[in-house]
Amino acid sequence: MDSRLTIAGRELAGLRAEKTILLAIGIQLFIAMFSSFLVVGLVSMYDPGALDGAQVEVAAAGDAVDDLERAASEVPGASVTAYPDADAARGAFERNAADAVVVTTRRESGRVSAVVTAPDATVETTVIVVQLRELLRTYELNERDARAPFLEDSPLPLPERSDTSPYFTFTYTVLIPLLVFLPVFISGSLVVDSITEEIDQGTMELLRVAPVTLAEIVDGKAAAAIGIAPGQALIWLLLLEANGTSVANVGPILALMTALTALVVAVAVGISAVAPDRRAAQLLYSVAVLVLFGGATAMAGGPANAVARLAIDSADAATGVLVVAYAVIAGAAYLGVRRVVAAEGLGR
Amino acid sequence: MTDRLRRLGRRIAVAARRVLRVAKWESARASGGVDRKTLAAGVALLLVAGGVVGVGVATGVAGLDVDRDVYRVGVDPGSPYADAIEAEPSLRAVSAGRASLGDTADAVVVTVVRPGSEDGGAIDPGDVESVVVRATDTQKGEAAAASVREAVEAHNERLMRAEPNRTAAFPVTVTLRYVGRTTGFDEGTTLGGDGDQTSDSDGSTGGGSDGGDGGSDGEGGSDGDGSTTDGVGSVGGSDGSDGDGGFAVPSIGGAAFGADTVGSPGSITPPFPFTSLLLAFVFLVPMNFLIQAYGSSILDERTNRRGEPLLVTPLSPAEIVAGKTLPYAAAAAVVTTLIALAVGGGALSVIAVAPVAATFLGATFVGAMFARSFKELTFVTVGVSVLLTTYAFVPAIFTNVTPVALVSPLTLVVFDLQGEAVSAGEVLFSTAPMAVGAALLFGLGLGVYREEDMFSQKPVTRKFLDALAVRLSPVPTGGAPLDRRRLRALGGVAFLTACTIPFVFVAELLAVAVLFALPVTVSIPVLLVTIAFIEEVAKSVGLYAGFERGVFERLDGVAAGDGDGTLRVALAVGLASGTGFFLAEKATAVVQAVGLTDLFLGRAAFGDVAGLSGLPPLALAALFFAPLALHAVTTGLASVGASRGRTAYALALTLATLGHAAYNAGVVSLG
Repeated sequence: MDSRLTIAGRELAGLRAEKTILLAIGIQLFIAMFSSFLVVGLVSMYDPGALDGAQVEVAAAGDAVDDLERAASEVPGASVTAYPDADAARGAFERNAADAVVVTTRRESGRVSAVVTAPDATVETTVIVVQLRELLRTYELNERDARAPFLEDSPLPLPERSDTSPYFTFTYTVLIPLLVFLPVFISGSLVVDSITEEIDQGTMELLRVAPVTLAEIVDGKAAAAIGIAPGQALIWLLLLEANGTSVANVGPILALMTALTALVVAVAVGISAVAPDRRAAQLLYSVAVLVLFGGATAMAGGPANAVARLAIDSADAATGVLVVAYAVIAGAAYLGVRRVVAAEGLGR
Repeated sequence: MTDRLRRLGRRIAVAARRVLRVAKWESARASGGVDRKTLAAGVALLLVAGGVVGVGVATGVAGLDVDRDVYRVGVDPGSPYADAIEAEPSLRAVSAGRASLGDTADAVVVTVVRPGSEDGGAIDPGDVESVVVRATDTQKGEAAAASVREAVEAHNERLMRAEPNRTAAFPVTVTLRYVGRTTGFDEGTTLGGDGDQTSDSDGSTGGGSDGGDGGSDGEGGSDGDGSTTDGVGSVGGSDGSDGDGGFAVPSIGGAAFGADTVGSPGSITPPFPFTSLLLAFVFLVPMNFLIQAYGSSILDERTNRRGEPLLVTPLSPAEIVAGKTLPYAAAAAVVTTLIALAVGGGALSVIAVAPVAATFLGATFVGAMFARSFKELTFVTVGVSVLLTTYAFVPAIFTNVTPVALVSPLTLVVFDLQGEAVSAGEVLFSTAPMAVGAALLFGLGLGVYREEDMFSQKPVTRKFLDALAVRLSPVPTGGAPLDRRRLRALGGVAFLTACTIPFVFVAELLAVAVLFALPVTVSIPVLLVTIAFIEEVAKSVGLYAGFERGVFERLDGVAAGDGDGTLRVALAVGLASGTGFFLAEKATAVVQAVGLTDLFLGRAAFGDVAGLSGLPPLALAALFFAPLALHAVTTGLASVGASRGRTAYALALTLATLGHAAYNAGVVSLG
């Protein structure tokens, strides 16, 4: 046991000397800070109405202005001003008194045709179009209600709108899994580097001369890599907590990510035993991790989804079983790889 | 003259042959490193994973829903809302009888039934009078309630699409047009073209893109098709002057993905190029694999002094590096071309991705030259990947929103995939800075491609200083003030500082992006200081490297009494560096103002120039040269600090930053 700790300590000392762990934390900090910008950007694209103060002024004319005004009173981000005819409405648009023009005409078929004019190629176009859609959908709902007797299945009444921040779901389903899993990938990559470097520089031979077995060397390197991962994740979760995002089930999340780190480290050890050249090993490792995580995320109850549900406190018994299952798989994988490596040796 | 040209030609031919030889050797070695077994293992892994995911998708087990079941909603199984909740992946239905709000459920759907229609069992949708969603008083509860509303909307949309009475199901048809305010109504906008013909084809495009949206709008699209003639008729009828207005998408919006022109309100899509953006991202993915192999190859040269034999050959370091890089650049070009062919991009996509690939390689080259071990290289590679991917990808998100998006070449790819025309000026604006940045990165790394740096375990910072100092030459203290050697040395200083400009801009852009989320009262002062700091560091770090590496004489190195000379050198290089920075800044400003007056960014950045036209010439000149004075003074200060050692440098840098920030604050408050 002692020799393993010594090797793990040597690994950590190497990391500390190069101060690369600081770089890793810097990268994560950058991702976290940038993602706040990214989220604001993305959300404003998907749902510009979510940004405060997005108020669209619509100039309306035509047969159904009253109905449109009624619909506007139900939509928070849009207000409608009636104009006597289409030209007057367009004039308002030209004078910048309105952001968009809607001209409605009741047709003989019973439909209402709405001709919508939105400004071309300005920064606000997306925002305006999204708000117009909201307005027209509300209008459509009202019109549909009036025609409900002609429908075979009447639509279900909608519940009231609630104020919600679009960042909320994103934070839990994308940002937290991303921050939790980044250390996992880095740890696996470190093991690949550590083993291929020892083989490349010939120091593995030196280590073999020392009174340690190959399994102990692998254990020490794996222990160092697995040991630093939960710490990094914990820092993130604490930082989020300090920022007002409460993360539930921190213990199970860390357990899950540690299990995954062990799994990824096992894969890394296996790969660097098969392909002792760093270039080939890293390439294979990246592909393997991509495949592993891509595949796992696509499955129901994938690790990303499991972390999201744990963090948002929607976990159930199944999630707990999942964490245990991941831990068992990781343990089995690591022990299997370790046995094979101990028997076959590294870098044949 | 011809003789000299011939000699130059011969030298280039020799260099090209040498580069090609190294390239051939490198690619042979690279394919040897990744042997057939590895390749086969990789392919097998991908195939297995693809098969598993494919089977999963086919059987309905898989789905990329990261938000699956994140909210628990209590709903009565007999209620018609149960179907709506069930169909929404992010919601998990909990039987209302067992759900307790806040504990096992985040929201509960309470269905109010019309009096007299309860019969104990399932509730008929027609009998629902109203619905109330009770949610916990938390952010999560609110988000859950909003998801419930969305789920019901989607459910209704599905119901209506199955409805035989289409007039009652979709009573409103919308015709969406984009009109520029300045051009007026009668001028058709960019892509519209004229008359009924266009509106017809536009209608079909609308239907097509609806299908592409993922099936949800498929039927709405065909419905839109049916009503197209209807819509067109109404346009012609309600206002004849608009006959040739056409249906247009915004001139920078998407043709295929941007906007449906006719359809139900639900089928309106704002001009957001989601699919193009996703496809553009595909171009970035292979880069991450490529730089791993490239970084390993460069670092391989440096471990166990493996690169030494190459260094002692007549090959110059530049030839070696060019040869080693060539196979990877070629691989990037091939992969990019293949992707472009696969996703339907044209030559523009390939041209736009080229500088991105070059920057990936350049940054990895510098990282591999500086790194001390594979582990360090891994962190560097991850850092390069993350930084460059965000830098290239994030601005492209804003493609249709603001021309500033053009700072990333990926925006050009998005335009290309959307079939938009792009002017040569825009292409240049988008690609040139990144190409220059890549070239500068290679130049930086080349500076340390020599024996004493390659095979030693120096810390990154010291190697960085080496790489900078290599580009400087000593400034002679004696002699005439306009001595040729001195001028050349000072010119070198100015040039080195000028080269930092692209990186300064990138750093400032990132600072703006990162600080964007903070409240304005905090972000503006922080930003002013940060920008001042970035510029001061850029101007003085080369000088510090010069003093630290002994290119410029330091006070402690020379005999007492000569301190005056050192001070003069420090001030001279400070002045030169400040001038270089000023000139480069103004040069970029001129280039941008000339080439990009039509760009919003150009107008925003140089609006102050236009606004000052009313001032007297003297004041204009003063305003123009004020930054020069500022740069010279602050850099002179930092330079003197740098000549006295590390602590003095840090102190002087702080002072210079504060002075610079104060100046910036003054300018901002004046403006």
